[in-house]
Amino acid sequence: MATAELSVKLQASSGSKVKDFLNANMVNILAALLFLLLAFFLLYPIVAVLIKSLRGPSGFTLQYYQNFFSKNYYYQSLINTLLLGAINTVVCLVIGFCLAYMTTRGPWILRKPLKIISLVPLIAPPYLFALSLIILFGRNGLVTRALDLHWELYGFGGVVISQTLAFIPLAYMMIESTLMSLNPNLEESAYDLGATEATILRTITIPLLAPGLLKAALLIFVMTIAEFGNAAILGGRTPFLAPDTYTMITGESDFYMGSVLSVILIAPCILIFFIHNYLLEGKKFTTIGGKPVASEPRKITPLIKVPFVIITTVAAGAILICFAVVFAASFYKILGVTHNFVLSNYLDFTSNRAIYNSIRVSFVAAVIGAIIGVLLAYVIVRGQFFGRTFIEMISLSGFALPGTVLGIGYLLAFSAPPLKLTGGIMILALNCVFRFLAVGVEAGISKLHQIHIEIEEASADLGASFLTTFYKIVLPIMFPAFIAGFIYTFMTAIVSLSAVVFLVSPGFDLAAVIIFDKAVYGEIGIASATTMKLVLIVMICMLILNFISNKTKLGSSMKKSAAV
Amino acid sequence: MTTKGVAADMESKENEKPMLILKDIHKFYGNNEVLKGISLEVRRGELVTFVGPSGCGKTTLLRLIGGFTDISAGDIILDGQRINDLPPNLRDTRICFQNYALFPHMTVAENVGYGLRINKWPKDKTAARVGELLEMVELEAFRDRMIDKLSGGQQQRVAFARALSLEPKVLLLDEPLSNLDANLRLVMREEIRKLQERLHITTVFVTHDQFEAMAISDRLVVMKNGLIEQVGTPIEIYERPANEFIAGFVGYVNFMDGRIESIDETTRNTVINTQYGRLEISLEQDNVKTGDDVLMVIRPESVSLSLDCGDKSQNVLCGALKSYMYAGSIAKCTVTIGDRTMIIDQYNPRDAQHFKNAEKVDVEIPRSVHLLKKK
Repeated sequence: MATAELSVKLQASSGSKVKDFLNANMVNILAALLFLLLAFFLLYPIVAVLIKSLRGPSGFTLQYYQNFFSKNYYYQSLINTLLLGAINTVVCLVIGFCLAYMTTRGPWILRKPLKIISLVPLIAPPYLFALSLIILFGRNGLVTRALDLHWELYGFGGVVISQTLAFIPLAYMMIESTLMSLNPNLEESAYDLGATEATILRTITIPLLAPGLLKAALLIFVMTIAEFGNAAILGGRTPFLAPDTYTMITGESDFYMGSVLSVILIAPCILIFFIHNYLLEGKKFTTIGGKPVASEPRKITPLIKVPFVIITTVAAGAILICFAVVFAASFYKILGVTHNFVLSNYLDFTSNRAIYNSIRVSFVAAVIGAIIGVLLAYVIVRGQFFGRTFIEMISLSGFALPGTVLGIGYLLAFSAPPLKLTGGIMILALNCVFRFLAVGVEAGISKLHQIHIEIEEASADLGASFLTTFYKIVLPIMFPAFIAGFIYTFMTAIVSLSAVVFLVSPGFDLAAVIIFDKAVYGEIGIASATTMKLVLIVMICMLILNFISNKTKLGSSMKKSAAV
Repeated sequence: MTTKGVAADMESKENEKPMLILKDIHKFYGNNEVLKGISLEVRRGELVTFVGPSGCGKTTLLRLIGGFTDISAGDIILDGQRINDLPPNLRDTRICFQNYALFPHMTVAENVGYGLRINKWPKDKTAARVGELLEMVELEAFRDRMIDKLSGGQQQRVAFARALSLEPKVLLLDEPLSNLDANLRLVMREEIRKLQERLHITTVFVTHDQFEAMAISDRLVVMKNGLIEQVGTPIEIYERPANEFIAGFVGYVNFMDGRIESIDETTRNTVINTQYGRLEISLEQDNVKTGDDVLMVIRPESVSLSLDCGDKSQNVLCGALKSYMYAGSIAKCTVTIGDRTMIIDQYNPRDAQHFKNAEKVDVEIPRSVHLLKKK
């Protein structure tokens, strides 16, 4: 309707027919261009992986899939991955629920500190936890040596622990937001009618949270099975799909099996993405509006309090310890083995060059990502064309795609003409852009929903062309969303490992890749120092983001999209 | 005295004991004192309304009685028992929230029966009680409906039935009508009042709507800034407000300054000197004496207006008609007397056509005017 009205107005005022056409159809033209970009940089690489897995030297074949399911090693890695996902999901949900329950229902003084601790892992690259576990429990680990233990950190257990710690914030954020949206009067009514704390939890809180918990569970599951760093660093001889893909490509140059592993990894992700988006749509219990108020602290019964406090304390303590040991380890060649306090780790040339490269790549990614994000948000919200929901779906799907898959996809798609990108900075940047598009788009969408179309119509009514309106009205209003998308893309790109590990060329290392390599080869000091540098950068980004969202009231929408 | 007589006497004594006593209640949120010493007694079967502008502490007070908020100082005594430290599930009070807080994952019957199930009532008794309650609120036909398939008024009734299910000693209603549209509010408020009187259940009602409060209550507790300004029946509050705030809170009011010139001790005929002339009223209060500076509380509907006829009888002041807005059953008039502007409501207006063109009018101040002593 907007475009129609716009075109009527403009046809009356402007003479040139081409100009009229452009003005009236600008949204559609823009949408078509964006769709081409998405198709080329997001869909095509995935299709390339699929094709690779199905095409042998002599045409179509299912040979590689047969290999996968007949060889114990591959088959086992699928089972391990799914098991890891399941265990991780359950543990993260339990911990996340306890933390969120305490920060929304517990005593006032505990709420803020617990919330901060729960969210702290966000400033760390997920593999920080793998690193800290090596420092503590590895073969030369502090705890291992102090207690003279002979255990094996590398394997299923280590991966589960590090993954759990890494995904606590995600679980916490999602559960906290559902708990916050639950009208506290509901629980109070049950309390008032004679229910005890445990009964309230069983009969009211958990049943009402069920859709939200399920949503969180699906997302954590997808993110866990796709996560590369922790499993690659701590997996040892235990096979997991994501790191195996990497070994397949870099170790054995077997692109066919690598592609098969990717397709197998991506299948549950796509399945769950659809469940997440469609089955759960509208499955929310609506309650009659009232002012959303923070629940007053309740007298929590010991039956609930004791296990909750234990779980929250252990989780919070573990998170803090992990940060502390990595920080400490960054000042020693190998913490616990060498005793000289050194700064050399921070001055290391490879590390600093990698940081510099990472900043460059992330910056380029952030600029492109923020622009595309804002434009996509615009066409999704304002467009009237066929396939609008489809574009929205693809642009938000990046987060559900395992990084390794998109890594191989880019390798397959862009290593040969027509578009040869490998070896440069662009392939790394573009990869990050399309993987992390979701948040920028979400921020833009929520910002646009705050603006009435009438504002744009008013501008058009006053005689402005589409481009003028867009430039003078839409862009300024969306600027906070642009900045948010920029910073978010930047800080996600700079820590991301799983896709870029396939795409870095020799001599052009990224910080995340350096950390991964050094951790694997036991150069803990440099790995820790590089991690701390990343933590610092992400922290600064978060502070800026926080500042902006406070200034522009983008806060709630950003939090929501970050949790999605 | 016979034993029967003693028993009856004791029973009546028992009935005279208040159901709920609030003793000097204070509540702090950090350094912010939201309740600054509230004392009140609520009689058995009485409907008492806490009313006041937003932020006056009325909802906090209700939540304190329900046990959802800790009390900072003071005592709450329910039926002779101190309940300060009892959690809500062990208190014999039940609350109905503004947003009803019905459990969206349960049917109407399951909602109403929730408290009964929690308190381990046998199945057959629960079913019977739920049936009885649904019949009471006329929702038998909806027992298996989900909550979101009910209208606002129906949800309100379910919440009411649920709160009554365990026969509480005190029913707490937190702005129960504020989510309903204007017509439904009138209907529901009558229904609530009728049920409350029939069940003879002690009820504390919270609202910010002073007219709703006046219509529904036995007594009003008018609050402001964490303090009780006045407690009284609707008539007392409206006709004999304790101060300017209350006078203005329960309806529009015109104030007029004056000084008491004389009070006739036998007839209570009182002469008040105002700058517009001498007025005579019959005094119905004894907190003022000759020589006091007073504020006369003149309600818009108590003043009669007539077209200027030149004949100045007792209590008639001369005014200039500034505006006359005719609205059928009522005409709202703005009249200036000297430098004072008065709003006057003329019910069942006659001679509207003449008033519309009139410039000067006679304003007759009634003899039953309430006086506020000026400090």
